[in-house]
Amino acid sequence: MERNIYAYKCKRCGHVQYPYRTICRNCHENDHNEFDIVPLPKKGKLLTFTHLFNPPSDFSTVFLSLGIVELEDGSRITGQLSIERPTIGMHVRANVEVVRKDEYNRYYGMVFYEA
Amino acid sequence: MRDVYVAGIGITSFTRLEYPLVEIAAYPGLMAMRESGIKSIDQLYVANMGAARVNHQSGLASAVVDNLSLTPAGAETIENGPASGASAIKQGFLAVASGMHDTVMVIGAERMREVNNLEATDFVATLTHPMAEYIYGVTLPSLAGMFARLYMEKYGVTSRHLAMVAVKNHKHAMDNFYAHLHEEITLEGILDSPDASTNNPIVADPLRYYDMCPVSDGGACVILTTADLAKKTGKPMVRLAGVGQATDTHAVHDRKDPTDLVAVREAAKKSFAMAGVKPADVQVAELHDAFTILEIVESEEAGFFERGQGHIALQEGYTRIGGKLPINPSGGLKAKGHPVGATGVGQAHEIVLQLWSEAGKRQVKNAKVGFTCNFGGFGNNVVCLTFIREG
Repeated sequence: MERNIYAYKCKRCGHVQYPYRTICRNCHENDHNEFDIVPLPKKGKLLTFTHLFNPPSDFSTVFLSLGIVELEDGSRITGQLSIERPTIGMHVRANVEVVRKDEYNRYYGMVFYEA
Repeated sequence: MRDVYVAGIGITSFTRLEYPLVEIAAYPGLMAMRESGIKSIDQLYVANMGAARVNHQSGLASAVVDNLSLTPAGAETIENGPASGASAIKQGFLAVASGMHDTVMVIGAERMREVNNLEATDFVATLTHPMAEYIYGVTLPSLAGMFARLYMEKYGVTSRHLAMVAVKNHKHAMDNFYAHLHEEITLEGILDSPDASTNNPIVADPLRYYDMCPVSDGGACVILTTADLAKKTGKPMVRLAGVGQATDTHAVHDRKDPTDLVAVREAAKKSFAMAGVKPADVQVAELHDAFTILEIVESEEAGFFERGQGHIALQEGYTRIGGKLPINPSGGLKAKGHPVGATGVGQAHEIVLQLWSEAGKRQVKNAKVGFTCNFGGFGNNVVCLTFIREG
């Protein structure tokens, strides 16, 4: 099964937003839940990134690579990177995987690889 | 609206404090009352971000008002992330300006060192977007790292410029008894020497250890009142002349240009407009340098320097004590410390001290107009204050 991260497309103006907002940031006109749920594209360009050497205690790795990616449709997402030497502007592709787990929960999110 | 003046101030050391949060809040309150001669107040605002989570205590203001034996005055706790302090001052301003209250005590207090560093960082990370940021392991240092990388690439800022902020603010803090870090550092030691990578390891690439503020406990207090009551304290008249606040998107990736700090720009603009001054009129500023990069960018967004020129001004010595516009004479969050909920009140404390000409060795000469920028979230909620000394 292919997993996706879903964004919210306003039924009034077509603006796609991620994460969810109750009122569309573009037209401010929608009624409650007046959105189509659309999968976010998985290809994009790396806008910026960091390697975090004191990751939160739920992570057992020495460091955690994080980045902001501009996706093909122009929307943006924060995600984890599985790229040895990331550079600004590089093309990336995403897989939706478990990005964090604690004793009780598993959280899915986008992990980016070199395209 | 009535004019609002500062009647008294107080502060604790920003460091690891081994006494209860309520007393961290109460001590600067006592200091401010003793110094100003004020014995009763109408209302107390206590700024705090983490008491319920970190110190297992809710309803902090109720505990503090009783600890100071100020009951039955009104009391409220104000939580607005790392901008809680300036937000509480804003509430105090509104209360006096509206005529509802004559004397308001504003305290900021935080005790983050009750838990270890990872827990403290995680507690601050709860500010981030729960689904779009937090689950990935995003923390404030990582947002600062991503922001810094993009900004540095765009404007030619280097790690050397960032280190200059740290060196300057550590130097300023040497003359501040209440600062967390009394440790003079050099570019050689944190950047150039063979030991630099040990002294100053990378934390959130490109940001290093000395690009980040310490995790501090601490408290600060400012008493606000009317012109008539302020005159009775015998202190120079310092008016809280401008209060500006603005917000930005919760998730950082949602911003049109992720190197813009729109909320800083808007909050500063509103604060200056209310005070009737221009950025060029300011002689001393306390900016929210939780990360060194933020001091540079905030100095531009507040209007002190053109976009992309903040690091040049820094390099040329404009922003050190003795320069044209000293920034963070207290040592800033970088070296004075960052007890999150208390920070905004701590910034105001420093500016009032400067405008009273009571800052000792770190005094900025002839300071008449002072400015603070208290930065919440990663720039999603910013409160800026402008203080003016009259006469």
